[in-house]
Amino acid sequence: MPDSIQLFDEPTQRKLEQLILRASQVRTGAIKGERRSNKRGTSIEFADYRSYVPGDDLRRLDWNIYARTDRPLTKLYEDEEDLAVHLLLDGSASMGWAAEDGDPQHEKFIYARRLFAGLAYISLVTNDRLMMTTLNGRNARDFGPARGRGFGVPMMRYVNGLEADGETDLNSALKRYALRTGRPGLVVLISDMFSPSGYIDGLTAFLGKGCEVVVIHVLAPDEIEPPLTGDLRLIDVETGAGQEVSLDGAMRALYMRRVDEWRDGIRAECARRGVHYIFALTSTPWEKIILYDLRRLGVVK
Amino acid sequence: MSFLSPLALLAGLLAIPVILLYMLRLRRRETSVSSTYLWQQVVRDREANTPWQKLRRNLLLLLQLLLLALLVIALARPFITVPAVTSGQIALLLDASASMNATDVDNGTRFAAAQRIANDIVDTMNAGDRMTVIRVADVPEVLAGYTNDSAVLHTAIDSAQASSALADWTAALTLAAAGGASAQDFNVLIIGDGGIGSAAEFPPIPGDIEFVPVGRSDANLAVTALAARGLPGQNPQLFAEITNYSAVDADVIFSLGVDGALFSAERYTVPARGKLPVVSSALPEDYSTLQAALTPPSGSTFVDYLPQDDAAFAVAPGAGMRNVLLMSSGNRFVEQVLRSMPGVRIFQGSTDIGMPTGDFDLVVLDGWLPNTLPQDDLLIINPPSSNALFTLGDYTDQTSGIHVRRDDPRMTFVDFDAVNVLRFRQVEADWAEPLISAEGGALLLAGEVDGRQIAILPFDLHETDLPLQITFPILMTALLDWYTPEDVLARNAFVVGEPVGLRLPADAQAASVTLPDGAQRELPMQANPVFGDTEQPGLYALDLTHQNDTVERTYFSVNLFAPLESEIAPRTTLTLGQIEVASGEEEEIGQYEFWGWLALLGLVILLIEWFVYWRRTRAPVAFRPLDLRGARQKQPGR
Repeated sequence: MPDSIQLFDEPTQRKLEQLILRASQVRTGAIKGERRSNKRGTSIEFADYRSYVPGDDLRRLDWNIYARTDRPLTKLYEDEEDLAVHLLLDGSASMGWAAEDGDPQHEKFIYARRLFAGLAYISLVTNDRLMMTTLNGRNARDFGPARGRGFGVPMMRYVNGLEADGETDLNSALKRYALRTGRPGLVVLISDMFSPSGYIDGLTAFLGKGCEVVVIHVLAPDEIEPPLTGDLRLIDVETGAGQEVSLDGAMRALYMRRVDEWRDGIRAECARRGVHYIFALTSTPWEKIILYDLRRLGVVK
Repeated sequence: MSFLSPLALLAGLLAIPVILLYMLRLRRRETSVSSTYLWQQVVRDREANTPWQKLRRNLLLLLQLLLLALLVIALARPFITVPAVTSGQIALLLDASASMNATDVDNGTRFAAAQRIANDIVDTMNAGDRMTVIRVADVPEVLAGYTNDSAVLHTAIDSAQASSALADWTAALTLAAAGGASAQDFNVLIIGDGGIGSAAEFPPIPGDIEFVPVGRSDANLAVTALAARGLPGQNPQLFAEITNYSAVDADVIFSLGVDGALFSAERYTVPARGKLPVVSSALPEDYSTLQAALTPPSGSTFVDYLPQDDAAFAVAPGAGMRNVLLMSSGNRFVEQVLRSMPGVRIFQGSTDIGMPTGDFDLVVLDGWLPNTLPQDDLLIINPPSSNALFTLGDYTDQTSGIHVRRDDPRMTFVDFDAVNVLRFRQVEADWAEPLISAEGGALLLAGEVDGRQIAILPFDLHETDLPLQITFPILMTALLDWYTPEDVLARNAFVVGEPVGLRLPADAQAASVTLPDGAQRELPMQANPVFGDTEQPGLYALDLTHQNDTVERTYFSVNLFAPLESEIAPRTTLTLGQIEVASGEEEEIGQYEFWGWLALLGLVILLIEWFVYWRRTRAPVAFRPLDLRGARQKQPGR
C-alpha cells in the first residue's frame, strides 16, 4: 500500500465546494442535476414563450396571456441537468518517478492525485455522474459511477490507494475507455504525456463521442531542467530501457530545447482539435490549476 | 629518425591497461529518469547534426593514448642525424680570455656566442661521445669532466663566465691533452676568437684539433701603456699609449684622473692599426694614483667593441722610496751609482757642517766620520779613523787572493775577481763578518750592531777600479737591498690575473686588500702571502696594520696591458706549434635528440586532456529559476 497522503485540507475543500464543473460542448444530461441546461426543461426558472402546439403540456400554457390576447402561448422553463465527468489519471511508472535528491512534494504522482481528487470532489458535490479510472494497462483501477457527497470518502480512499506502476500506452488506453463510455461528458486527462505511441488517436476517440476534453500535462521541474552531468546511462523507470548519454552543457541545453518543442507540439495538437491544454509544473500549487487555470478555460465555474 | 633506447618503446604496451581502464571507467553511472523518450530524440538529433560525436565520446581516450605515445617515444630517445663539428672523446676548450668580452656579435658578447655554439655542439653529440668542458682563463678550469650527460654539459657551459685576464692556453692544452692520452678518437675543440699567442710552447696534442671561431670585428681602441716617473727637481712625467687595432682611424677622448679627480681630457685621432703616445710633464708633484680612460667623442661612428682595455691605472712611483744620506767630501762615483738606482732618494750633506738632522734609511760615510755615529744604517767607505765600532789597522797592499763568500746571498752576483785594489786598511770588528777578503784582510765587512746594519769598505774608491766595473752597481744594489729590504710590494703594477707577492713586515698585525669594486680580502698573516684575486683591472689598495695600530695604505695597479687580448680581430686559423688549425667545418655526423620537444608536446596534450575532462565533469551552472509565468503564457486561449 502506498503511503496515504493528505490530499487536501479543509480550506481548500471549502473552496472546491463552491465550484462546479462545466462542459460547454456537452449537451446531453441524463438526470436532473444542479447544472442549468441550455435545453428548455422543467425547472422553475422561466426562459421563454413559444406558440402552443398540440401535445404541449397544458399545465405550461400561460392562461393570463391567453385571457388577454386570446393567443395560446406555452411557457418555456430552464432545464437543469447533470454532467458525466470522466477523470482519467495516467498511472504509469513514469508518473511515480522522482529525482533522486528532488523535493518529494514535487513528485508528479502526488501532485496528479491531488488534482484528480480535487476535480472528483467538485464533481460529487455538484451531483455529477463521476467516473474515475487510472490508465496503466492491466493494473487500471476504476471508481464510479458515483454521484453525490456521500461518495466523497470512498473516492478519497480510492485515490489514496492508487499506485504508479507499469507501462501506459496512452493511445490505446484512451481509446479503450472511450469505447466503453456510454454518455458523453467532460473528460479530464492528467498525464505526463510520455507515450511513445502518441495520444492523438485516443483524444480523437473522445471528441468523436462528443466529449469535452481537458489535458492537464504534469511535469516535475527536474524533467525540464535535469540536474545531471557526466557520462550516464539513463534508465527509463517505465520500460527499463537504457539510453547512454554524455551530458555536458551543450547536451543539457539541447534537451531543454527539445522539452520546450515537445510541450509546444502537444499544445498545438490540442488547440487544433479543440482540446483544452494546461501545463502543470509540480512546483506550482495544485489548487491553482483548478482555481485559476481551469477557471480561465471555463471548465470550472 | 632512429632511437637511442629502442627498448623503451616496449612501454607502449602500457596502452593496453590504459584502454582496459578506460573501458572499465566507461561503465556509465546509471540514473533513472521518468522517460527516455525525449533523451532518445535528443541523442538522435545530436548524432545526426554532429557526426563526430562518437569520436568525441572517446576523445579522452585518444588524448591519453596520444600522450602515452609521445612519452614512450620521448623515452626511447629519438634522434635525427645532423652535421656535427666533432665527435668521439671531445675536450671542449671555451676561450674565456678578456677579448671574449667583445660585443661584436649578435645578442651579447663573444663569450655568450661561444656558449651558444658549445650548447649546440652538445646537442649534436652522438650516443657514445664523451665531452669535457674546460674554461680557458688565466688558470684553466675543468667545468665538467668527461661525460655523455648533456644536461651536465649544458649546466657547465651556462655557468661559465668570461674573465678579464689573459688565457693560459699552454696549461689548458696540457690539461686537455692529459685527458685524451688514452682515448681512441680524441678531439680538441677550441671555441674562441683565436687570440692564442706564441706557438712554440704548446704541448703535443694526441688527437685532432678543431677550431670554431667567434667574432666579427677588429674595432677596438686600448690604453696599452700608462706610467709615470718622478725626476729630481722636475714634475712627474706621464707616459701613456693608445693603440688602435682597427683598420680605420679613430677619434677618442683620453681623460686622465689623478687621485680619483679628473685632471685632463683631450681629444686625439689614433691612426688605423697605429699607436699614439701621450706624454705629459704637467702632472702634479704630489699624487698617488692615476686613472686613464678612453671615451668616444660625441658623434663618433667608431664602435669600440671591447671596453675592458679602455681604462688603465698607475700608482706614483714615489711610494716606497728609500732616503739615503751621502756624507762625502766629493765622490762622484758613489753619488752617480746611488742616483742611478731605482727607489733611492739621495740627500747630500757637507762634511764641513756635520751630520744633518733627519730620518734616513741609510747614511753613507765616505772618507769621513762624525764624532758620534748616527743611529741609522751605515755604509762606511774608507774610514779615516778607528771608532767604537771597529779598530783600523795599517794599510796593506796584499790585495791578491781575493775571496768572495758565495754562500752569502748578498754576494751571489758579485764578481770581484777583475777588481784591482791598490791598498786597504785592515779592520777589526768582532760583530762583522768579512764578505770579500784578500790576503791582507777583509775588503768588505758587514754585520749588525744594536739593530743597525753596518758595512765597511776599508779602501778609497779612487784607489781602485771598482767604480769603473759593472760589479760596483751590482755590489751597491746588493748592499742597499740588504740595508732596506724590499717594500711590501716588489712593484706596484701588475697585469690582470697575475698573482701579487707580498712581503709583510715583521710588525704587521693584519693586512687586507680592497679591490676596485670595493670588496675586501683579508690576507693570511704569513711572511710572504700571495694575493691572487687580480681578475679586475683597476686600483687595489693594500692596508697594513702595524703593531702600533697605524694603518699604512699602499696602492698597486692591475691593468690589461695585453696586445693579444686587445687585438680582437677574429682569426680563422690557429697555429699550435707546428700545427695549423683552420676553422672547423661540419663534416662529421652528429645526432640531434629531440625528446625534450616531445615531452613538451606531451605536457600540452596533458593540459588539453585535463581541460576536456574538466568540461565534461564540471557541475551544471546554477539552475535557471523556472519561469512559471512564461509557461502559462504559452497556454492556448491566453
